[in-house]
Formats: sequence, structure tokens, C-alpha cells
Amino acid sequence: MSAIRERAVPRPAGRRPGRTSPPPAAPRASRDRGGPWPYLLVAPAVLGMLYLLVYPLIRAVLISFQDFRLRQLISGHAKFVGFANYRTLLTDPRFWTVVRRTFVFMAVNVVLIMVIALLVALMTERLGRIWRTAVLSSLVLAWAMPVVAATTVFQWLFHSEFGVVNWALTSLGFDSFAHYPWFAHGTAAFAILVLLVVWQSVPFAAITLYSALTTVPAELHESARLDGAGALRVLGSVTFPMIRPIVMLVLCLEVIWTFKAFTQIWVMTRGGPGDATTILPVYAVQTALAGQRYDLGSAASMVTVVLMSGVLVLYFRQMFRQEDEL
Amino acid sequence: MKFRMLTGASVLTAALIVSGCSSGSDDAAGDGAGGTSELTVWLMRDSVSAAFQKEFATAFAADHPDIHLKIQIQEWDGIGQKVTAALAGNDAPDVIEVGNTQVAQYAQSGGLLDLSDRRSDLGGDTWLKGLAEPGAWEGKQYGIPYYAANRVVVYRKDLFQRAGVDPAAVKTRDQWLAATEKLNKGDQQGIYLTGQTWYALAGFIWDEGGDLAVQRDGRWQGALDTPGALAGMEFYRRLQALGKGPKDADEANPPQAEVMAKGKVAQIIATPGGANVVTEQNPRLKGKLGFFPIPGKSADKPGAVFTGGSDLVIPAASRHQDAAYTFVKELTGDTWQKKLALAMSYVPNKTSLASAVASDPGAAAMAVGAAQGHATPNTPGWAAVEAENPIKDYMTAVLTGGDLEREATKTSEEITRAMNDAS
Amino acid sequence: MSAVRPNIPVTKRSSARRLRRLPLHAGAALTVLVCLFPVYWMAATAFKPSRDIQSATPRLVPHTWTLEHFRTAVHTAGFARFWCNSLLVTTGAVLLSLVVALGAAFAVARMRWRGRRQFVLAVFVAQMAPWESLIIPVYIIARDTDMLDRLVTLTLVYFMVTLPFTTIVLRGFIATVPPELEEAARVDGCTRFGAFRRIALPLLAPGLMATSLFGFITAWNEFAYANFLIIKNQDNRTLPVWLSSFKNTFGTDWGATMAASTLFALPALAVFLLLQRHVTSGLAAGAVKG
Repeated sequence: MSAIRERAVPRPAGRRPGRTSPPPAAPRASRDRGGPWPYLLVAPAVLGMLYLLVYPLIRAVLISFQDFRLRQLISGHAKFVGFANYRTLLTDPRFWTVVRRTFVFMAVNVVLIMVIALLVALMTERLGRIWRTAVLSSLVLAWAMPVVAATTVFQWLFHSEFGVVNWALTSLGFDSFAHYPWFAHGTAAFAILVLLVVWQSVPFAAITLYSALTTVPAELHESARLDGAGALRVLGSVTFPMIRPIVMLVLCLEVIWTFKAFTQIWVMTRGGPGDATTILPVYAVQTALAGQRYDLGSAASMVTVVLMSGVLVLYFRQMFRQEDEL
Repeated sequence: MKFRMLTGASVLTAALIVSGCSSGSDDAAGDGAGGTSELTVWLMRDSVSAAFQKEFATAFAADHPDIHLKIQIQEWDGIGQKVTAALAGNDAPDVIEVGNTQVAQYAQSGGLLDLSDRRSDLGGDTWLKGLAEPGAWEGKQYGIPYYAANRVVVYRKDLFQRAGVDPAAVKTRDQWLAATEKLNKGDQQGIYLTGQTWYALAGFIWDEGGDLAVQRDGRWQGALDTPGALAGMEFYRRLQALGKGPKDADEANPPQAEVMAKGKVAQIIATPGGANVVTEQNPRLKGKLGFFPIPGKSADKPGAVFTGGSDLVIPAASRHQDAAYTFVKELTGDTWQKKLALAMSYVPNKTSLASAVASDPGAAAMAVGAAQGHATPNTPGWAAVEAENPIKDYMTAVLTGGDLEREATKTSEEITRAMNDAS
Repeated sequence: MSAVRPNIPVTKRSSARRLRRLPLHAGAALTVLVCLFPVYWMAATAFKPSRDIQSATPRLVPHTWTLEHFRTAVHTAGFARFWCNSLLVTTGAVLLSLVVALGAAFAVARMRWRGRRQFVLAVFVAQMAPWESLIIPVYIIARDTDMLDRLVTLTLVYFMVTLPFTTIVLRGFIATVPPELEEAARVDGCTRFGAFRRIALPLLAPGLMATSLFGFITAWNEFAYANFLIIKNQDNRTLPVWLSSFKNTFGTDWGATMAASTLFALPALAVFLLLQRHVTSGLAAGAVKG
């Protein structure tokens, strides 16, 4: 195996080297240490982030420690209330239900997205030119469809009276689906949203994974096959290790994106029926804009960020190990 | 090479855009220069027709040459956030049209100008209650009644005739149910009532003496689980079953006027203005649409209705409050109110002006109902309820077989929470 | 560039092969169908007369076609202006974030410096920023600095929204370009940045395109900030906000909305299809590095 791993690192500035490979000293010589240049180069990004992101973020944190409602937004003079908002939030059983639901939503979506995207990517790699172009173009089209338009179309497809889905199901003989009100049932509405989010996210993941697969040299597969490995084994022990970094990156981005899914839910169900599709960002906006409780909404967002970082800590650790070896 | 092309292309695009777009966008400047003040007014989409707006603006300019009037039409989507942003800004628009149920929350926040002392100047004694009361907060008047509209039954004259139903005889709920049942035959729908038309439900609940929320010991509580409210929902369920209205959608998805335009729908519950949309979509229905007030429990009392409509408010942050007041006084004054009511099929803002629309069948039917006009609970917390709208979920749950009392209790608790979270 | 074309070994026994490939093609057909159906539905709706849009007997192919909705959409006041605004804001944000991210990505991928690790972490955290909740603080800051109602403010917000992703991906791209190439150029007398510009930058073109397209789509679709930060100066509204003007008290003009959405998706689609090959190979190269 290790022989393959070593051959799998063709580019010097590339991936994490296998444990047995010689220390990659040569390319590193070109790297400068010190000097003002790196700082000058990152300065615009850092300044931008400080003013446009960190500063608003600090204001948001401040708001989460204040009594901040519509009145305070209009006339100022917000009072500090310490952890009162966080206490209200964390002692609210509804909030914890929302947190649990967010994790379920994220997990279901991410698993589906990754599995489907990987399958689509593997399939695309094996297709001929015409089919491959067709698949890639459709993926791209789905990806570029405006979110609101996509959401509206999905809403129509599942409309209880005029929806194509009910029409198709009844035509196929499933009479129980005549006028079936999808959005009246929490689980059904949840499932439709998962479907929508997966539909929107798979293109990015699939295209990226496919492109990663194309960088895996074909000789590797052949040599593994000659060694007598089956297709699944080749996938597991040759292909996957090669595209692992990209899989991890896509995974990380999808975790972030599904955790933050908002527009789709807001347009489609506003978190309903009941609370069945309310996940954290929806909860935060509901409290902030509908209830005019900007303080509670801010607090909810801060908790969201903390929870999300918790999920991604593993990824960061791995990334840094990689960084160190760079 | 590729890169050079990319840079070239992007520089070119950027240049094109800048040269093509930048011209003419600097008209916001020059505010207040030369003695005239520029007055920015926000009206909602479709609250006035283009013709009325033009007529009003021309006359206003002639009467008040010192005020440069600029009317901006606002969209319904995201309007709550937009008004919030406007009120909190340094340079707010000078007059804003706000839905009558939304005034309280803005008033409470201190973003509006108190107009209590102008009440008599504006003829406040005869204002419609359904507009004036929600426009007040803690005894002070912030919202000035602008126009009202309430729902009536829009029906197909031809279908009624064919079924042998006389619309004039439909005066009570029982007669209404019987007539609708008669009309609901084959692929013809007796009534197209979506499952989430919550203000129709509100009317039925008020008829039964119930309410959406009540104040007990200074605290607002959802009241859908009271006997009156349950009876109202029960009636809604019976009525809704006499057609194919989707149980999990409101009247905007799809627009009910479009559904009626496609034919075979005998009745919808809508504002009279909705009839124009129907005939616009299907000109063959011109002259075939009639109106009657929503029937009440007994023949002598028409059904209670939700008084929808708008108030005009002046933001505290407005820089031209005197000019703004001049505008408000003109538009809510008798002359323009009569014209507006006729042009748009509205109920004018004063009871004394009701006769102005007597000739219009839609407005006449509306006026009968308007006498039984109700408003949603007048508290800032109500806006939060409408934003989440648990009532819609409640209706769908009951209509799709949920337990009436259990769902009602659950939703009342949600309303209680939403109202008290916000206040 | 760096992406290797998939190398499918071609065997001669093709009929057995064809049979074996049947499930593969079925899968491909299914993928195409699932991806395209909603897109098709959007476009088809735009061509249907209003009466047929939501009907109890849906038709897969509209039986009457109309251009009426496109006419409504294009003739609605301000179409050209809002289109321009959107283009201006989006292009501005994307170009700015490309330039800034390129510098940062270069520093991260090619140089060793104290704080690099923290910077990378910060970029990842920035990717998680809760933009829905930052809207209030951003509004307050813009109000207090007199930046409301300006397209520049929107441009800056969108720049910040797209910057983290752009930096992450570009960093990966730069790492895939062997530094030796630049070193060779430097030996030939180029300056360090001259070498980068002449040698590495052209190789990075696909990456730049891929990331800019991502940013383009994000910024092009944004509604909440555009609605909240542009208040009194209505000429500065952007397309997504304008799209909501097809909603009125009696419901939504869905035909016009879908026609507008179709027109609205067009630039993104066109650019995407045009550059598709670069985009896919670009993303791959960028992401391999993590």
C-alpha cells in the first residue's frame, strides 16, 4: 500500500506526504521566512474582515448582552442585561428542540449530499464524452437556478391540489395521495426541505468530487487491479485516500452550508407547520425580525456559531496537522 | 493569455456598467434646496391606482407649490423589515402607509410622531373604528385612518341562477351552507376556500362571541380554545368542505382570483377588488360576478369581518413633518377620500362618507359588513403572531383530521408565547 | 490545466460492455432528469398563460405558449436600471474579493510567517459568519457612518460574504502551481511578483473563474441586505428586491416572476456553460489542496 501512497504524491507542493516518504525539503527552500511582504498581502483581507465582519460581529455580541428591541434600534440607549438573554434562550425547551432538529437536519442532509454526490461523481467519471457533458451541464444548470425560484418550484410540485407530484402519484394508482397536504405534516414538510437542499447542494459537491477523481492517475487503478483488488477495494484503498482532502473540504463546507440553510426554509414553510422545520437560523430570524427581539436573535446566532465550530473542530485539527507538514 | 483576456473582459465589463448605470442615479441629492422641501411618501403596491396617484399628485402640486411630492410604491415582500429600517434611519421617508394592525408595534417603539392634538383638525370623530383604534397606542393617536376594505362573498351570478339559488335570500349561516351545498356539484365547487384563510375564520369566531386572543390580568393569551372560537372553527370546517380549496395553503397560493377565473367556482371570500382580478384573467366573466355580505348567525346581523386597511403615519425621524402633515390632511380629507373609495372600491375612512360608494355593488356589500368590523388584538405583540402565524397551521391541522380541542389548546399556547415574547 | 482527463480504458468486446454499461447510463439519465426537471418547470411556467400555471390537471408541456410574461417582466418600470444595479454591485464585489483574496491566498500558500495559521482559521470561521443576524449591526454601522441607501455598502457586504470562500479555494489553486516554475523565471531576471504574474497567474485563470462564479451566484441572489440597506433611494434597488414587485394583495403574478427569474438566471447560466470546463477542472485543482 505504501508504495502506492508514495506514487500518489506526484506534485511537490501537493498533498500531505505519506509517512514513509522522504522529507520534502527541496520545494520548501523556496519559501521565504519573515519580511513585510506576507503581512502586506494579507492586510487588505485582514482589514476588510476586521471592519466588515469582526466589528459587526462584536456589535452583535454586544446586542446579545443588551435589552435590544425595536425601541432601542430606533432610539438607542440599550441597557446591558448580562447573560439574561442567554439564560432565557438556554432555559427555553423550545430552543433545545430546535437545536436537536438542526443537528438532525444537518446530518441527514450532509450524509445524503455526500453519498449522492460521490455516486454521481463516480458515475460521471465512467461515462462517455456525450453523457458526461450532459450530466455536468445539468448539474451546472441546477446549481445556477436562483434559490427563490427553485424553492417556489418545489413548493408547486408538492402543492396539495395543483402539484405535479400528487397528480403523478394518483395517476400511478396511489389514490391515498389525492389532495395529500404535504406541508400540513411536519415530517413530510421536513422531507421536502431535505430534498430541496440536497437537490441544490449535490451539484457543487458532485462537480468538485468529480474533478478530484479526474486527478487520480489511472495507472494506480490498473496496478491495484492487477494486484487482484476488486472494484470496491480499489475505491476504498486507492481512490478514496487520494481524494480524501477534497472530500473533507466539501464535507466541511456542506456542514456549514446546511447548518446555515435559511432562505429555502423561510420561503417555503417559515419554519412550519408548528415548529417542524424550524432550525437555528430560522429560529434566530423569527425571534429577531418577527418578534422584534434582536437581542435574543443575536444570542441564538452566537450559540449557533459555537455549536457549528464544535462540529468542525475535528476538521480544523486535521487541517492544521496538514498545514504543519506543509 | 487567458489571464489577460480575463482581466480585459472584466475591466471592459466594469467600464461598461459604470458608464451605463451611473447616469441619472444622483437625483436623490438637492433635497430641501431652494425653499421647496422634498416630501417622500411610501404607499403600498396597489393601494392606489396609477390614474388616481397621478390625479392626486397634479392637484397637490398645484395647491402646494412649495412641496415637491415624491410618491414611492413599496412592495409587500419584506415590508416589515423595510419600515423598521426606515424608522430607525436618520433620513426617514416623511409619510408611510402602514397596515392598521402594524401601527401599534411601531408606535410602541417610539418611532412615530404623536398626532393626538390634530385629531379634531382631521375630523377624527367620525373615523372608522377599525382603522382609528389600531392606529392608537396607549391613548395617543399615531396612525391616521387612510382606507379600509373588508371581505365579502364574491359569487358567480350564472352558476347561482343555474342552481336555482337566490343570493339575496342567503342571510344566515345555515342558508349559506345549504346554498353552497346545492352549488357544490360534480366538478363545480360550491366555494373555493383555502384551508388557511385565517381572517375569514376570525370573522366566524367573532360571530360566536369568541376572539383570537384576550387580555387577562394584563397579559395577552391566545383564545382559540374558548367555546366561541371552537364553534367558529367548526363552521369553517363545514364550509371549507364544500369545495376543493387546498387545506394546506392560503388564498395567495395559488391566487384564488386566478382559480375562480378558471371557472367552475361559485364563490370566494375576497375584497371586492378581487373581482377585478378575476375578470382581468377571464374577460368572459365580466358582468357575471356579484357580491353579498358574509352571512351572520341570524338574518338581522351580518357576519363579523376583519377590517383590513391602512393608516398613514409620520416617522419621528422625518425631516419635513409639517409638509408631511399637509399631505396626510389632504389624502385623508373628504374630497380625496370619496374619489379614492370610488376608484379603488374601498370603504372611506369616515363613517360620514359611506354614502359616497353606495352606487358600487361591491362597496355596498362591503359597507354592510363594515358595520360589524373587528380588528385583531391591538397590541404590539400581535404583529409577532402574524409573522409566525400559528393560526394557519392550526387550521390546516384541524382540517386534515387533527383533534379540534387539542390543536386549539396547543395553538393558543403558541399565540400566548409569541405575543408575550415580543412585548 | 492540471486536471487529468479521465482515462477510461477502451475494450474491444463492446456488446457485453454495452450491456454492462446500461445501469450506468440509466443512472446518468436519471441524474439529468432530476437536475433539469425543476429548471425546466421554471422556464416552462414562464411561457405558460397565467390560467394554466397552477392547474388541477398539470401538463408537462404547455399547450399554449406565450411571451406575455417576459413582456410584463421587461416592461415593468426600472427593469434595466435594477439589472444594471445588480450587475454593478455583483461585479464590484466579485472583482474586489478576487483581488484581495489573491493577495491573501498567495501569502498563505507561498510564504511562511507568524500568524499564518491563525489567519487560515479566521478565514474558516468567517465562512461560518451568521449573516442573517449581522444584518442589524451592519445596518446600525451603515446608518451611523451615513452609508445607507448606497450601492457601495451592498458591494462591501457581498465582498465580505464571498471573500472567505474565494480565499480558501484560491489558496488551494496557488499551492498546485509548482513554485519551481516561478523560480525559473526569477533566475531569468523577473522580480518575485513579476514571476508570479507572468507564470502562475495565467495558470490560475480557471481557478479565478471558478471562484468568481461562485461569488457571482451568491451576490446575485441576495435579498435580505438589499431590502434592508437600500431604503429611501429606490433607484438603487437590486434585481432580487425588484422581483418581489410581482407580488400584490391578490397574490403573486407567478408567470412574470418565473419569467423574471429565468432572465435573472440567464447571465449565471451563460457564463457557467461557457466556462464549464474551466470551472470543473478549476474547482478540482483548488480543492485537492484543501
